[in-house]
Amino acid sequence: MKAWERLSLRARLSLLYAFLLIFSVVLVGGYSYWNIWQLFISTKSSHLRARAKPVIEHWLIDNGFDKLDVPGLKLNARNALALAQDLTSRDAAAVILDGKGRVIANGRRLPEEPEAPLPQGRYVQRALSGENEVTYRSLVNGRPVLVMLIPLRPRPGSSHIFGVIQMSTSLSDINEILFRHGAMLVSLVAVILILGTGAGFWLVGLSLQDLKDLVTGCNRISRGEFSQRVPVKNPRDEIGQLAVSFNQMVDKLEAGFASQQRFVANAAHELMTPLTGLRGSLEVLMRGAQDDPAAAARLTKGMFREVNRLIRLCERLLALSRLQNAENVHKEPVVLSRFLDDFIQQAKVLAGKHPVSIQQGPYVRIEADPDLLKQILLNLLSNAFRYSPGDSPVVMGWKLLPQGVEIWVSDQGKGMDKKTLSHVFEPFYQGKSSHRASGDRGIGLGLSLVKSMVEAQGGSVSIQSQPGRGTRVSVTLPLA
Amino acid sequence: MDMDKNGDEIKILVIEDDPVITEFLSTGLKYEGYKVTSRNAGRAGLEALQDGVFDLVILDVMLPDIDGFEVCRKIRSRGPDIPVLMLTVKREISDRVKGLDSGADDYLTKPFSFDELLARIRALLRRSGKMRKDKRLQAGGLVLDLETRQVTRNGKMINLTPTEFSLLELFMRHPRMVFTRETILNRVLGYDHDGGTNIIDVHISHLRNKLGDRPPHLIRTIYGTGYAFYPEGKGV
Repeated sequence: MKAWERLSLRARLSLLYAFLLIFSVVLVGGYSYWNIWQLFISTKSSHLRARAKPVIEHWLIDNGFDKLDVPGLKLNARNALALAQDLTSRDAAAVILDGKGRVIANGRRLPEEPEAPLPQGRYVQRALSGENEVTYRSLVNGRPVLVMLIPLRPRPGSSHIFGVIQMSTSLSDINEILFRHGAMLVSLVAVILILGTGAGFWLVGLSLQDLKDLVTGCNRISRGEFSQRVPVKNPRDEIGQLAVSFNQMVDKLEAGFASQQRFVANAAHELMTPLTGLRGSLEVLMRGAQDDPAAAARLTKGMFREVNRLIRLCERLLALSRLQNAENVHKEPVVLSRFLDDFIQQAKVLAGKHPVSIQQGPYVRIEADPDLLKQILLNLLSNAFRYSPGDSPVVMGWKLLPQGVEIWVSDQGKGMDKKTLSHVFEPFYQGKSSHRASGDRGIGLGLSLVKSMVEAQGGSVSIQSQPGRGTRVSVTLPLA
Repeated sequence: MDMDKNGDEIKILVIEDDPVITEFLSTGLKYEGYKVTSRNAGRAGLEALQDGVFDLVILDVMLPDIDGFEVCRKIRSRGPDIPVLMLTVKREISDRVKGLDSGADDYLTKPFSFDELLARIRALLRRSGKMRKDKRLQAGGLVLDLETRQVTRNGKMINLTPTEFSLLELFMRHPRMVFTRETILNRVLGYDHDGGTNIIDVHISHLRNKLGDRPPHLIRTIYGTGYAFYPEGKGV
């Protein structure tokens, strides 16, 4: 089994193919061999019978046995010898046995006439007990013969058997023919085997070539050449389909890899800015600003702000990576109106002068993680506060949709243009106008975090905005 | 104090929107004797350039309104041949090329070392002719040759160790400025020097001996604070 597994697929398929060929050739050849043998034997025996029948009938009539259908009939050696001699010919030997199975006459007179085999008791008994035609094979001087035993009855159908005729004829000619037939079969098997296996090997190789190309392509891709694709020869066969789906998989992989690289690069850039502030401030402090209390206070305050920003950034990154794992999402039924009433009390602390209100919708229970839902809504509200004038209202509410419940947050802020809108869920993307406004700046992770949090709960998020008119973010979550 | 040829203060405009970076840049540069004006957006920066005269611009690439490349092109199209030092987070060669192509004279990636920033500012100022090339420092009969690192007092040669030379250079560059031992330690022996500040007292005492610095000292002890350099031999 181990050796079999070590072989290449091509060798295995070719070997299987060869075995199949041998098996079918041997099956067909063996059957035809056996059939021919049967045919010969039955021809020979019917030939013998046809020769013997009229001779025996004449003999029975000539000797008046047909009128004496009684038990206890006896053969005399003279009568038997005449019969045996009549039955004997150049290609058939005849021996007569009496009712007890003893040889009483052998018809062989000339040297060119064949010798008869010794009678075999068990076959003779079968003939004596009434079996009409017992045929078996035997050997005479090492040569095969067909032996036929015919019971002697006074007339056909009589139950009084008073002897057995043993006819035999040589099978050498049949054996000769069959030997030649067999030799032909063997050489045929050999030729078919060689040609078939060779052709099979070639054919399998041909159909495996596509697979080999696939393997080469896969190897290149696994070495990191993500721009490579495997060739698709025939998109309709199985290997072509494999190549197509493999290419699709690599497309996804390449895109995922690129987006991950972008993410890491963006994250590193985003870390660099606070680190610049920290390093520069520390250096300036050490160069002497530490001796000036006013400058030292300004610098340390700035450093504290930068450290907090770094922590916030790392927390967001961790939150993003936590959401990749479904175990960190704990969904439960949430009564939306009650949840939002509690939430709005906490959110008002952040609102500043913004009036915040809820437009009540129907009573619904949704399937959500309350902690995540709270973070989502806090994110959306703080965006609304950040990007709208100090006293403009922010409204939230919900409504029933066929696919779940839509929870929305809407402001009358500065809104976004189409270009910003199309990138707004990308990590670290910050629109031009939102870009780091006067010290209070976002990290560019808020909305992508919202998207991850919503999707982790099986929901979806969408955003509509018009520059100068305001923004409305909708989160759709499944019903409980 | 770094003065230009005419003895005026050198004026630097910082265009950077991150308040913490702006804060340390202006504090640190003021400490080095530059006059710093800062703006937190591209347009505001361009307006400041129109209204005032500056010797150098430090320009951040990521600005809220128009990006640094655009600001740089506008500065160049308006004509004044003012050195521009660009700051950015991006490290890719293409970004550097873009920065230099837009007209920047030099390019520094964040986070940068403040010492390197100062060195680049000095280099840019020298190239633009705004600052004479410092070859020697002279005060109180002392002459420091910065190229050969030789020191003479009243024509007499004095042998100093590298640390003592740096110490004397620091004092002579900033006459009358009071340095705490901690600051002297950081600036002369490096930011990551371990050990107490007593080592500074040891170096100062060696330096005074070699200079033949008798009371009233050129390098004066300011009690409870540190040391300061008084070239005129009077004051406090």
